[in-house]
Amino acid sequence: MSTSVAAASEQYDYDIIKKFSVMAIVWAVVGMSVGVYIASELAWPFLNFDSPYISFGRFRPVHTSAVIFGFGGSALFATSYYVVQRTCQARLWAPGLATFTFWGWQAIIVLAAVSYVLGYSQGREYAEMEWPIDILIELVWVSYLAVFVGTIMQRKQPHIYVANWFYLGFILATALLHTFNNIAVPVDLFSMKSYSLFSGTQDAMTQWWYGHNSVGFFLTAAFLGMMYYFVPKHAGRPVYSYRLSIVHFWALCFMYMWVGTHHLHWTALPDWASTLGATFSIMLLLPSWGGMINGIMTLSGAWDKLRTDPIMRFMIVALSFYGMSTFEGPLMSLKDVNALSHYTDWTVGHVHSGALGWVAMISFGSLYHMVPRLWKTEMYSIRLINAHFWLATIGVLLYITAMWISGITQGLMWRAFDDFGNLQYSFIESVEAMHPFYAMRAIGGMFFLTGMCLMAINVYVTIRRGVRAATVDRVVVAAA
Amino acid sequence: MAENTPNQASAGAQTTGHVWDGDLQEYNNPLPMWWIWGLYVTIAFALIYWVIYPSWPIGKGFLPGLNTLTYTNSEGQEETWHWNTRAKLMREMQDSLAAQKPYYDKLMAMPYAAIVKDPELSSFVISAGKTAFADNCAACHQSGGGGKLGFFPNLTDDDWLYGGTFDKIHETISRGRHGYMPPFAEALSAEQIDALAHYVLSLSGFNMDAAKAAKGNALFHSHTAACFYCHGDDARGRQDIGSANLADKVWLWADVPGAGDDAGRLAAVRQVIRGGLNRGVMPAWEGRLKPEQIKLLTIYVHELGGGR
Repeated sequence: MSTSVAAASEQYDYDIIKKFSVMAIVWAVVGMSVGVYIASELAWPFLNFDSPYISFGRFRPVHTSAVIFGFGGSALFATSYYVVQRTCQARLWAPGLATFTFWGWQAIIVLAAVSYVLGYSQGREYAEMEWPIDILIELVWVSYLAVFVGTIMQRKQPHIYVANWFYLGFILATALLHTFNNIAVPVDLFSMKSYSLFSGTQDAMTQWWYGHNSVGFFLTAAFLGMMYYFVPKHAGRPVYSYRLSIVHFWALCFMYMWVGTHHLHWTALPDWASTLGATFSIMLLLPSWGGMINGIMTLSGAWDKLRTDPIMRFMIVALSFYGMSTFEGPLMSLKDVNALSHYTDWTVGHVHSGALGWVAMISFGSLYHMVPRLWKTEMYSIRLINAHFWLATIGVLLYITAMWISGITQGLMWRAFDDFGNLQYSFIESVEAMHPFYAMRAIGGMFFLTGMCLMAINVYVTIRRGVRAATVDRVVVAAA
Repeated sequence: MAENTPNQASAGAQTTGHVWDGDLQEYNNPLPMWWIWGLYVTIAFALIYWVIYPSWPIGKGFLPGLNTLTYTNSEGQEETWHWNTRAKLMREMQDSLAAQKPYYDKLMAMPYAAIVKDPELSSFVISAGKTAFADNCAACHQSGGGGKLGFFPNLTDDDWLYGGTFDKIHETISRGRHGYMPPFAEALSAEQIDALAHYVLSLSGFNMDAAKAAKGNALFHSHTAACFYCHGDDARGRQDIGSANLADKVWLWADVPGAGDDAGRLAAVRQVIRGGLNRGVMPAWEGRLKPEQIKLLTIYVHELGGGR
């Protein structure tokens, strides 16, 4: 066993993967801390301290960018570079370019966060970065595509493993989305400010075509790629169905591209576009569930692992949350449900059941699987992983329950009429009604963040032990 | 489930035959039947939805769908459209306006005194006024109308700068108000201002230095300070120009209630005399609100507690 591991580390380029793994954890701690802070600002507004720099409006994109692109993005770079090498039996193509993707990507997150705090924003959700940062993203992303495709082309395996289809789909779609959503005209060459090329409804449609496909490709397809490698690998079981993986992959890619307009129901959007967004969202349900079925059914015959292995538990709970939120999403995309849910906290809860429950949990499971293999050691503490699992699960449940109650309460209060046909509540009354649930949400976030900090400690000690053992090995070899 | 039987069988059964990374394999299980049927059901759902609602764009138009909506347009003619968001909004607004019209008609036709004695109409005023107040007035006067010391008057007490009758409240809402007091920092010495502050506080029942208060009293009624021009000989203010009543215990501009001791109270009053006031601005709502909304809010504010 030890010889084969030693051979593997020479065979594959692990350095870049280690870097991205560490940064994924760093950004998770940073991004989730900011998340807990802004959740607390909503519950206890004095925390804004009348400072523009830390106000909710500027901190919110810092949170979303740090968790989606910092944590999620780094976890995807790390796992995709790991998976593509191991399943293609090939080293990374153009390692220099891969190193550029690392430094470039980290610079993007830092620049984005600093520019938001200083007040620069395109005002496009999840694409708030201004044009100079957008150009850097474009360069990094094209390099990423080149490295990934180059590695696949060098593969020593005749077939391309399913996880790689998902990763490649994600990289291609994200390139497309990022490019078209960020076409803008800068005010001048030395100004951070720019104006979108599109205007009005077209602008909104472009933004939500991007916005929902970020969810679809960045936060879904890519993490399904992660799932398709780490779940069967960790369980030691074959993937349940190759056929299902093909069908749901293509169905998912085809359907997702249509659904962005469901974010714009009951607006100036043409009604036909609204209808198409809603119906394609409904048709997306089963293709989404294909991934969940394939993941969960892979475990059948190895269910006992759930009792003993908290890493497996992370993966399965992640798949369950994935199934739940991909059921909730189509429901919310129907015009009549949306009339209640839109602009309420229900949406926020829905996003977080996907982001915390699915994206973060599958990443935790995968990182816990991958980190000891990268540093050729064992995880320092399984009990800490277990504690992390429970803190994370309780945190998500508190969060989404709070947002369900708060969101549905808001929606019902806003549309409540009295016997005279007058609105029953003023807006401020609905804000007052939300207060306890905002506090509950912040507490849920604190649970999740605490678990994340345990992971950071656990991984830090694991890496230190791995590095020390490697140093000892080298000394022994040199002495001999 | 029958589909997962192969997965429970020994490894190697029905895999695709490919192996990656040492041990990664795939079974080639068929698609679960419930999954396929589920997909067909969602597709059927979409097809039905497309028939009912506007859907596919074709040429310069789109499939309008079979569902229709009828409403009466602003010219009073009935219009029927394929289902669309705008028509739905028109219909709903029209329905609710129609339901409220009898109440507003009555409200506009009846005098104030009769409206407040009519229980049904009073309930309507409370219902409609509450949201109208919250949406238009509460930003300054606060939800509930309690106002904010130093900025916006309290509407729930019976102290009125410009008068608390129905007609005066109506005038205030329609045309707005602009309260102004000139600064005296340059016209009066620090000692004189201090004396005036002693006098003004003594009017509200505070036990102040009698000598200074007497000096302030003389200044107040002299042509040097000329306070009585606006606040009146009795210092009870003039509602025709909105000058404050200084002889009661209600404070709007000087934070006297918030000060802990005489020194703090004096400082608060001195500050107003020195700097004057130019922030008592209320915008005019005529043109921004409909006449029936202004009448509604007049009664609502009057009934908040202190109407005369």
